[in-house]
Amino acid sequence: MKKPWLKGVMPALVTPFDENFEVDEMSLRTLVDFVINEGVSAVVPSGSTGEFTSMSAEERKKVIETTVNQAKGRARVIAGTGDAGTDTAIELTKNAEKIGVDAALIVSPFYLKPTDKEIFEHYKRIAESTSLPIILYNIPQITNVEIPWWVVEGLADIENIVGIKDSSGNMPYMMALFEKVFGKISIICGHDEIATSALATGADGLILASANIIPNVWIQIYKLIRERKFKEAFAIQRKNQTLIRIITSRGGGLAVKTGLNMMGLNVGKARRPLVTGGLLRYEDEELLRIHLEALGKIPKRTVTFRMKPGAITKSETYVVPQTPTEASDFTLRVGEGFASPSTAEVAHIDLSLGVKDGPVGRILQETLENPKPGHEPKIAKFNGKEIEPQTLLVPTVLVRTAQQEKFVYEYAMNGVTRAIADSIKQGVLPSRALNHLAMIAHVFVHPTASNPKRLEINNYKAMRYAIRKAIEGRPTLNELLERKESARHPFRYTP
Amino acid sequence: MRFEPRGVNVALVTPFTRDNEVNEKALRDLVDFLIEKGVSGLVPVGTTGEFIYLSEEERQEVVETVVDEANGRVPIIAGTGASSTLDAIRFSKHAEDAGSDAVLVVAPYYLRGADKGDFQHFYELAHSTSLPIILYNIPQCTGAFLRREVVEDLADIENIVGIKDSSGNLPYLMELLEKVGDRINVLIGYDEVVLPAIASGAKGMILASANVIPDRWVKLYEAVAKGDLETARRIQMIVQKLVRIFCRYGGNVPVKEALKMMHFDVGKSRRPLTKGGILGPEVREEVKLELENLGIIESKFSIAKTPQNPLPERFQNLSIEPEVIMKEKLKVGEGFAGQDIARVHVDLLGGPKDSPVGDAWIRGLTNATPGHEAVSAIVEPNLMVKPITLVMPAVEVRSLRQASILFGPIQSAIGKAVLDAVENNLIPRKTVETYALITKVTVNSEASDRRILYHNAYQATSDAINQVFGGLHQ
Repeated sequence: MKKPWLKGVMPALVTPFDENFEVDEMSLRTLVDFVINEGVSAVVPSGSTGEFTSMSAEERKKVIETTVNQAKGRARVIAGTGDAGTDTAIELTKNAEKIGVDAALIVSPFYLKPTDKEIFEHYKRIAESTSLPIILYNIPQITNVEIPWWVVEGLADIENIVGIKDSSGNMPYMMALFEKVFGKISIICGHDEIATSALATGADGLILASANIIPNVWIQIYKLIRERKFKEAFAIQRKNQTLIRIITSRGGGLAVKTGLNMMGLNVGKARRPLVTGGLLRYEDEELLRIHLEALGKIPKRTVTFRMKPGAITKSETYVVPQTPTEASDFTLRVGEGFASPSTAEVAHIDLSLGVKDGPVGRILQETLENPKPGHEPKIAKFNGKEIEPQTLLVPTVLVRTAQQEKFVYEYAMNGVTRAIADSIKQGVLPSRALNHLAMIAHVFVHPTASNPKRLEINNYKAMRYAIRKAIEGRPTLNELLERKESARHPFRYTP
Repeated sequence: MRFEPRGVNVALVTPFTRDNEVNEKALRDLVDFLIEKGVSGLVPVGTTGEFIYLSEEERQEVVETVVDEANGRVPIIAGTGASSTLDAIRFSKHAEDAGSDAVLVVAPYYLRGADKGDFQHFYELAHSTSLPIILYNIPQCTGAFLRREVVEDLADIENIVGIKDSSGNLPYLMELLEKVGDRINVLIGYDEVVLPAIASGAKGMILASANVIPDRWVKLYEAVAKGDLETARRIQMIVQKLVRIFCRYGGNVPVKEALKMMHFDVGKSRRPLTKGGILGPEVREEVKLELENLGIIESKFSIAKTPQNPLPERFQNLSIEPEVIMKEKLKVGEGFAGQDIARVHVDLLGGPKDSPVGDAWIRGLTNATPGHEAVSAIVEPNLMVKPITLVMPAVEVRSLRQASILFGPIQSAIGKAVLDAVENNLIPRKTVETYALITKVTVNSEASDRRILYHNAYQATSDAINQVFGGLHQ
């Protein structure tokens, strides 16, 4: 091992931007403090998660400087200095050296696909141009180029090449690295979904996007592996896998920023072309929030509900910056929930929520008294008992077959009732005012649905999102106006 | 003289009975139909013929039946491909005994021996039969290309006479034409790129869609032969949507569904393929429409009537009587755009949520009459618009395809028109949270051009919004 310090948990820092999309130095400092206080061994500014391709050389320099200055030696700083071109990468690396970083993380060249010979020479020239320790970086899902293991093997002989970060998630590839360079240079796992497996196999450390959000989780896993408590470590990885998967496969930096913003660490938006609703789908955002709440990462606050004049209820619940402190006017609030995967088991819920003596309550009664065949409404029950708030489930698609009936009234219904129970438990629906409220959930179940488990899960999620969005009034008008032009309805196009 | 595959060849489906047995009668009917349409050859037991789900006996039965029914009228190219070389040899020998004119042999799949294994497969096969052999590249099924270098060598073998390329990859096809085009016939097997392939020098085609539109392909082939590229181009564009669906939605399943719509009793595809799988009911309906547009099946379509009664009377199905509109001072408007089948008409009712409009809004969602199910307008999933807007079909929706149009281009156009009106302050900001809008939309049940429908629905909604909100903010 050339650099014994190169190990442990190292967050691939996001680059915070302010409202004008300028680098937000204060926010970066806050983030650096947050992760160092959690106990990380190093921080990695200006990498893929840090949106380096959307930043100027000056900005990258500034971000690296700020990070070094704020870390104050409490943690090592590994600067991302990669670029598609060799000369630029050399210049960025030299800059980082002057600033005083501990190492440089250099992504393989990308866009124009270099051959293995060209990749080798790219790194060799950079290494020769600096005395900084250099970490190779393999992330073929972004670069479209894999650094072949025999290139890594050859580069490992160069003195100041001290490690490789492998973000491919390709376990056979990583095993080849273990076979060829283990013990010689540090092997760092960069793919959050297989991090514990990599550590258990012998990886020295982790450079992870999700370590911005859950550094504590990774530190705990890292320690457990060191203590050879594999079972416990894998149990923690499994518990966090959904959250981790969203971050890894749904937009990296953008997902991390979304999570940090929910936690109250205001890191701003990602730069264009990254937008919410793209790779990070709206439903991912909602799911991310649910998982962060479960981890206690999202603060709680009191929300005031004004059901009608004179009827005020308070509820303690998890809030994000978009959550209003007060919800008034319960005449008719609507919320939309959408959850996938699978086209056949996709869940889509239109939820109407309001006071019992308003339109929702009135129509609920009217519908019960005069049900339409094929769209027969059912009162939501749990263990045979009607739940509060009184909730009606109405199938959106005409129910024609016994199988459809089972899918709507049993599996989708189960998901819906569980979601209501959890929304009450979480304080999203105010438990002391449930008797004032009525809800009608229009539930879309595709006639070709065939997987009951997925259908129930999707309807659970969709209902949780719908309730929350109805209460919080999301999407807000500003969000709608900002997002309306790029909206892409899946059925809008002729096959 | 050796056999040269050329012209329009049909990758026959294998009809099945209700009991999932080979349906010989339906197969014979299909063979006769296609020969009468002027095709150059028939290809039983290929990919479209579900060879992968047929037993050896069934494969033999299908080949024998087709040879017998064709009775020398057109050449028969039997699909005799298999994962195992020995199986492919045995199937080919049978095809020879049965009287086929050639065999079409797919490259090995599942377990593969790379280039060497591919070469050896065809080499041994070619030396075990005297039948002409057509190589078959379909990487989307086999998992890999039959590499050009391998084809180059195989083309030197006497009884290898052609290659069918179903990859749809034009650079690969050009490579074949360059390297082996002078020695063996290159045939196009990907329906979406027939014209460029034939115009570039491919000698013919073997197509799944030729079951359904044999005459179109015959015309296109003849047009190219005469150098009439204009006509050929027109034909390719006319069939493009249909053949795209065939190519992209499972190949076999949509072709069988189309043939059934044409009253050929070809039955279902075998499991695990189902028509609710990759094809889905929405796209199946698109196939039907295209067959109608091409004049292959009859259309019973009539243009929907746009509402004629006074505007305030058009919301009675939501219990909003004209008197209520008067008394509560609710706002109504209408708009329409487009011609004939693409015409869209929108009636709009707007008012505060705590007026009868609020009740009507939920009533529309909840008390749906079958065929008139409503949804609340979104520009895409998760972007439900404000003011909340109900989209309710005025014309009965009879199919999931129609539903997907109403709840695709139509609802997103309505949603977009509402949001644009908010942005332009035509819909006052103060009403965004307190108002509800209800639209009743007339769309022709057979309309299919989603882009035009989107624009017409947008225009109609914008005009209706203008009427409703035009005076509100003064």
